[in-house]
Amino acid sequence: MTELLAPGEALQGFLQADASHRAAHFAEFIGALKAAANQHGAHAVRQWARRAVSPLIDYSSLMKLRRFLVDSAPAAGSESNSLRLAILGGPTTIQLRQLIEVFAAAEGIALEIYEAEYGLFRQEVFTPGSGLDEFQPQVVFLATSARDVTRFPVVGQDEESVAQLAGEELDDWLRIWETCNARWNATVVQNNFEIAPGGVLGHYGARHPSAREHYLDRLNRMWAERAPVYVVLHDLRGLAASAGARLWFDPRFYHEFKMPCGAECLATYAHSFVSLARAIVGRSKKVLVLDLDNTLWGGVVGDLGAGGVRVGQGSGEGEAFLAFQRYAKELRDRGVILAVCSKNDDEKAREPFEKRDDMILKLSDISCFVANWKNKADNLRDIADRLELKADSFVFVDDNPAERALVRRFAPEVAVPDMPEDPAGYIQALAAHRYFETVAFTREDAARAGYYTANARRKELAERSSDISSFLASLSMRMTMTPVSELNIERATQLINKSNQFNLTTQRYTLAQVREMAASPEWRTLTFSLRDSLGDNGLISVLLLRKQSESLAIDTWVMSCRVLQRGVEHFTRNALVDLAREEGCRTILGMYIPSAKNGMVLDHFARLGFTAAGAEGDQTFWSLGVDPALEPLPHFIESEATYAGSA
Amino acid sequence: MPEVLDRLQDIFRDVFDDPELVLKDEMTAVDVDGWDSLAHINLIIALEREMGIKFATAEISKMKEPGQNVGSFRRLVEFKVAQA
Repeated sequence: MTELLAPGEALQGFLQADASHRAAHFAEFIGALKAAANQHGAHAVRQWARRAVSPLIDYSSLMKLRRFLVDSAPAAGSESNSLRLAILGGPTTIQLRQLIEVFAAAEGIALEIYEAEYGLFRQEVFTPGSGLDEFQPQVVFLATSARDVTRFPVVGQDEESVAQLAGEELDDWLRIWETCNARWNATVVQNNFEIAPGGVLGHYGARHPSAREHYLDRLNRMWAERAPVYVVLHDLRGLAASAGARLWFDPRFYHEFKMPCGAECLATYAHSFVSLARAIVGRSKKVLVLDLDNTLWGGVVGDLGAGGVRVGQGSGEGEAFLAFQRYAKELRDRGVILAVCSKNDDEKAREPFEKRDDMILKLSDISCFVANWKNKADNLRDIADRLELKADSFVFVDDNPAERALVRRFAPEVAVPDMPEDPAGYIQALAAHRYFETVAFTREDAARAGYYTANARRKELAERSSDISSFLASLSMRMTMTPVSELNIERATQLINKSNQFNLTTQRYTLAQVREMAASPEWRTLTFSLRDSLGDNGLISVLLLRKQSESLAIDTWVMSCRVLQRGVEHFTRNALVDLAREEGCRTILGMYIPSAKNGMVLDHFARLGFTAAGAEGDQTFWSLGVDPALEPLPHFIESEATYAGSA
Repeated sequence: MPEVLDRLQDIFRDVFDDPELVLKDEMTAVDVDGWDSLAHINLIIALEREMGIKFATAEISKMKEPGQNVGSFRRLVEFKVAQA
């Protein structure tokens, strides 16, 4: 972080505290921001205002923070995480858009926004030359509501005719989505339908097809099943349910201002959307770092011993800790990496995992385990090094407010949610932040935590092995190389869009674009999947190549950072050379486009024997002749079955 | 507990980001810089939260109607606070 000014204690003290303390000192904080802005300019205080944004604070406070965030926002396109976002409302979206700007600024996502007049989303989408058409959105957010459904059954209508009605309704929406995709290749974020209580059939409405709530439920199910892959569903129904009907369905604000929900729910709504936008740009959090004492079990293991800590059936408190462990375990199973950061003796800290059968989390679930007496901000950075991930993808959960304050102050890139004193509230406290949103779930996600566990073990091995070659040889690595096909296109697209560090050009492509390239005679696609003696690393690298008459140009080269320094780059370069020869090309052309995050591949092409072939601004160009004298680069990876041919 | 007018004034200052703003009963919406329909929504939201009151649908936009001024609005808020 670049600190533009030495922060006053008023700013620091506020930002390191929990929400309850912040609420009481919010006015002072705003005063301090104003004073600092007058003295140093709006840009200087932006980063402090950013860090005060939270889904836990109220509408008016967020609007106050907005003054420090939006006018000083860097232009879209100047940051690597920028999005051209169109917001098309059923209800009015002005306040929603304003709060989306606030949460996006907090996440470091630069938005260029096109906002349609409320209620005009169909016209905007279908009219060539509309404002939306000229804007050419990357993401279209259809911020619609149940009021935008055009067909409702009349009470008493039978199943068959209601099903037909619902089918017609779906067809209308399909046309909207397909147009967004066909015209602008846009990702669509589509609200499903919120269900207001008070249906006229009462409980019987749950089973009668003509009941409004039954019908909306049916539409929601159809949306989930039938929406194409480029449609990301935003679960407005779930949002309204968790906010509570009384707060969400405040019809005064709809009748008077056409607002989508009660005012205080708008913050939740905007935050929820931005968490999806964050997932779309590949910035969801990746790692959950857990404290141990009073976070995963009750009491201090150093005092009570493994048998004495409170966890498991038999007491309400023990069950609450167990429930939180189960939640963490489920997060792991869906691809979130778990780590432990605890002030303890390492041996003692491990004992409950080893000795207690009633623990749900096992040591094997923890990809990186750090228990020592150093400060936690340093330990978190250490964990980041070991996992080869950035600490800005970390969420740190600790029951101790002092530890939370320390980490917020000295490792401000780590997200640190408030935790209540009662462990029964841990799950909700963590879930409220939507740190781990995802827009797809692939087999890779399910296996990811395992990769990182194996990787941490590999690192241990590497530290012990004095000779890196013998270490690499001991891994018995095997690579499968295939073009992009329907079997791997989701994962390949995900990798293209999520990779920030090992990414030569930071080109982002939608699933549809990747599919087009895979089928095009002008493009060659390569994917690489690596296995070794410690496990399967899955699909870890993708190249998109444009075939020109005499050369093969590398449009995209991304690789997962978890296989750095394994010789994969050498293997890949050799494969590229083979491919170029097969295609009758004389040269391979490379390009490096610097971003805020891809400094690690600045010398990538030079390291692989390419020669510099000019520069344009920050971009550098590289070329490699594939004459017969060119020797393959050394590595320790065996080639497994390689499937030739296009998808 | 400060007078309702003082609390109103604090909330107005916050919403309109104008620490100098002084409310007087005879002022109308046009006398306050930036009191457009968007600011009005923010004002209503802030008032409901800060004062723990709830306006009826018909009352929400009343302040912006002809013949209304800060005085009539203050009396409405006082009535709401007394009810709450």
